[in-house]
Amino acid sequence: MIHLITGGSGSGKSAYAESRIQQFDIDRRYYIATMQPFDEESHARIRRHRLMRKDKGFETIECYHDLETVKIEEGASVLLECMSNLVANEMFGQQKSIEETIEAVRSGVENLQRQAAEIVIVTNEIFSHTSFYEKETKDYQECLGRINQMLADMSSDVIEVVYGIPVEHKCQAKMYHHIAKCAKG
Amino acid sequence: MVMYIGGAFQGQDTLAKEEYPHIHWVDGECCSWDELMEAEGVLNFHEFIKEQLRQEKDLSSLAEEMLKKNSGLIIVSNEVGYGVVPVDAFERKYRECVGRVCTKLAAGSDKVCRVVCGIGAWIKDA
Repeated sequence: MIHLITGGSGSGKSAYAESRIQQFDIDRRYYIATMQPFDEESHARIRRHRLMRKDKGFETIECYHDLETVKIEEGASVLLECMSNLVANEMFGQQKSIEETIEAVRSGVENLQRQAAEIVIVTNEIFSHTSFYEKETKDYQECLGRINQMLADMSSDVIEVVYGIPVEHKCQAKMYHHIAKCAKG
Repeated sequence: MVMYIGGAFQGQDTLAKEEYPHIHWVDGECCSWDELMEAEGVLNFHEFIKEQLRQEKDLSSLAEEMLKKNSGLIIVSNEVGYGVVPVDAFERKYRECVGRVCTKLAAGSDKVCRVVCGIGAWIKDA
């Protein structure tokens, strides 16, 4: 099953995603890191995330593009973080078009589905902003927006984390009644 | 502690003032650190964070201090983390800081109301 976690910057979605994956009764845990470090700020961000994951039993796989090539142990659980970086890398690093990027992500996630029992994907809300953007930024927004919709469709549950509070937008995973907020709307 | 949050111009301040018409509000855009610790309500809390960052204050324990010294505070804040990652380094720092501080405050709050189009939804109601 796929569980999609979204939210804004600094919303606590990573911490939530990590706690979510620990709820599965699966010892084999992978962390697919998609952020390619290119300056001190990104190195600092990666250090912060590594510290958060420490002692949580993750094996880290660095995958900046071509998710369909990732091989993991059958029946494992996977935390992929973050879709916004993967999409940026495919579009700007690999020079893929919007359509090519969407297909690369689709086949990449399907590749994980064939191997993993549980997949938690962290994505990002980058769609509310006051500024005008250049075309390539708009293309990026369109691409990630369409990918988020596709992933939500493939997912059993979609959770937006708002300042650490999980707000459920879709929940088919009945085993998570204790945290489901569906009844509250 | 109670929080009213939402995007720009969603009516979170109006809703909070309707709910608490008789308390003393300070404006985050111009109030001091000490005034915040004694206020009953704060509007534009995100602007307080921006101003403190401009003055290069360390905000790593701001949330903890607020929860300790002013646990009954009503906080009204914009959500600023829903755009494309800003090109400007200060803007990036600011929006991440609003997120981190507000996440800690939300964890310590009794209630969190998210406002869209003037309509509040209680996303946390302990």
